[in-house]
Amino acid sequence: MGAPFEFGYVLDYLVKLLPAINITLVIVASSIVLGLAIGFVVALPQLYNIPVLKRLSQIYLSFFRGTPVLIQLFLFYYGLPEMLKLIAIDTAKVPALYFVILTYALHSGAFMAEMIRAAVASVDRGQVEAAYSVGMSGPQAFVRIVLPQALATALPVFANLVIANLKDTSLAFTLGIMELTGKSQTLAVMSRHFLETYIALAIIYFLISFVLERLFLLLERRLQRKGLAAI
Amino acid sequence: MKLDFEFIWTAFVALLGAVPTSLAITVVSVSCGFLIGTAVALSRHFRIPVISQVGTAYVTFIRGTPMITHLLLIYFGLPILVDAAAESLGIGFRSVSIPMIGFAYIAFSITAGAYMSEVVRSGLLAVNRGQLEAAYSVGMTTPQALRRIVLPQALAASLPNLSNMLIGMLHGSTLAFTVSVVEINAKAQIVATTNWKFFEAYLAAALLFWGLTFIIERLTALAEKRFRLNDRGGVSS
Amino acid sequence: MIKLSQIRKSFGRNEVLKGIDLTVKRGEVVAILGPSGSGKTTLLRCINYLEKPSAGGITIGDFRFDYKNHGKKDVHALRQKSAMVFQQYNLFRHKTALENVMEGLVIVQKVPKEEARERGIELLEKVGLGGRLNAYPNELSGGQQQRVGIARALALNPEVILFDEPTSALDPELVGEVLAVIRHIAQEGITMIIVTHEMAFAQDVANHVVFMDGGVIVEEGDPKQLFRSPKEERTKQFLKRITPESAYSI
Repeated sequence: MGAPFEFGYVLDYLVKLLPAINITLVIVASSIVLGLAIGFVVALPQLYNIPVLKRLSQIYLSFFRGTPVLIQLFLFYYGLPEMLKLIAIDTAKVPALYFVILTYALHSGAFMAEMIRAAVASVDRGQVEAAYSVGMSGPQAFVRIVLPQALATALPVFANLVIANLKDTSLAFTLGIMELTGKSQTLAVMSRHFLETYIALAIIYFLISFVLERLFLLLERRLQRKGLAAI
Repeated sequence: MKLDFEFIWTAFVALLGAVPTSLAITVVSVSCGFLIGTAVALSRHFRIPVISQVGTAYVTFIRGTPMITHLLLIYFGLPILVDAAAESLGIGFRSVSIPMIGFAYIAFSITAGAYMSEVVRSGLLAVNRGQLEAAYSVGMTTPQALRRIVLPQALAASLPNLSNMLIGMLHGSTLAFTVSVVEINAKAQIVATTNWKFFEAYLAAALLFWGLTFIIERLTALAEKRFRLNDRGGVSS
Repeated sequence: MIKLSQIRKSFGRNEVLKGIDLTVKRGEVVAILGPSGSGKTTLLRCINYLEKPSAGGITIGDFRFDYKNHGKKDVHALRQKSAMVFQQYNLFRHKTALENVMEGLVIVQKVPKEEARERGIELLEKVGLGGRLNAYPNELSGGQQQRVGIARALALNPEVILFDEPTSALDPELVGEVLAVIRHIAQEGITMIIVTHEMAFAQDVANHVVFMDGGVIVEEGDPKQLFRSPKEERTKQFLKRITPESAYSI
């Protein structure tokens, strides 16, 4: 179905794919930052048990964790402009990249919320009591005692979410985004060297995940040295 | 343009026809993945030379790359291997006779196997070491002890992970559209383009997946309850 | 002087404190004894406002606090009058021994960092941990952690230090070092209320003993008198059940 396999092309395409890393990383970084903010907002009603908002955030979590990210991409890409049209906002000129970032942010936001909720819940009640007993106020206890400890428990989960997000961005090509996978598809179709291109693609993803994993591991070790063993 | 509610229902009904394909991909990949994952996990658990190292490399590579690359590599790579092998063995079989969905089955089983090995591994770790020793003490062999004592307990402990795995692979089955398998997502695409109603079609698909996920979660909760009933001694603690 | 009046507390339908009155003089060491479920820990936690009583009041020095009728600022003020030493130590897990002691000084009392550090070092030396200033809680033994906990409470210079079964979570061989520290600071004239199971220790260190059961104070008085010749039947029963193996030795 393609040209005969030649291993030399793998290296060739590896180099050709490199520039597309930028777009992939832009999607990952911006959707993770946005997702973290969304996660916080969604986790708060759960942590503080706020009646109606808690129910809403549960529905949000259930939807974004209960549907494939690919479907979410299409849903927002086609649906959001129409919804915005109802309130007289024209999105015809907004690049698809923004929709992609928003979708990934909403998607990982659901997982971030769960991560934050679990991490805060994991901090021993005695820590808050000790903070109160030395005279701290509620916000002081949260910021100085609960949050740093929750961060340590959340870090391994966060690392997994970032790498999962990286892998999920490979679906952005379906909306014509020229990130790594999108770029590799054009390269493959043009050259007919499908297998070589996709081997190169897999290698690049693997290297990025590998580097990210190492970095997070280093960070974890540093926290552990500070007495914050997560496990 | 307004939201056509009636069409959401029409699309939903049309999508139902693709549910068996999505479920088939999910079930096949999770089942085969379970076998692969168990083999890998056991080889790593008992530190079998060579096999355990190969297993580790496999798990690391698959977990570090997107699922779609696995599908693309199998789709474009497997025919080359199969044809070369068939030719050198002088068999008449050629890769063109592999059905499209076969590539999805194979690729996603490989994906699932890597993640599944982690599920099985943490399940094994959850079983108290004393259980294996107790099995030996009543004279069981290792395979007997694994099959009769360790695995049932590990299974109970890994139910939540298995459920997540099932949901993950169900959602992942949407990627099969890249090799022209008409599962729910591909069907939604067809329904959308032929009627020019994209939002409605994907909304129906989202609702369908949401429902299927919900059912998996309910069934897991039921299974957990049943396991708990058998578990008066406290396996998971 | 600390004066508790008519403290009541219920968990659901279960009333665990049924109107407690207690007066603690300045510099006094009060030991609260009683079977588990008697409400003694709950009473202690009410003083630090870790539990919110359903009714009652407290006076510490010239600060008066009504548990039913108060503002957020009053709660903050009440908490600063006392410091707690917890059964499970509850050291801040992400801070070193020294940082644990400094935290309240710097953040709550706004003491300059250098001054707080000096005070922290001084106190940790006092509890015998001058050599472990930069150790994190998970690097310390239970006994060492509890001694940091005591230093942390001392640092705040509160009107009263509350000890909630400070040795119950410790291995037997570590109990002695903690009790020794408590006895040492008791001699300095710091007001203390101690909930404990260590009878011999209570008899030795306390100048006043309170026996609680079923949410009320059954009997209180001088330790020698209460231990040797308790008046109430419930106190007698309780003391009889306590075996001398909980005696401590230093």
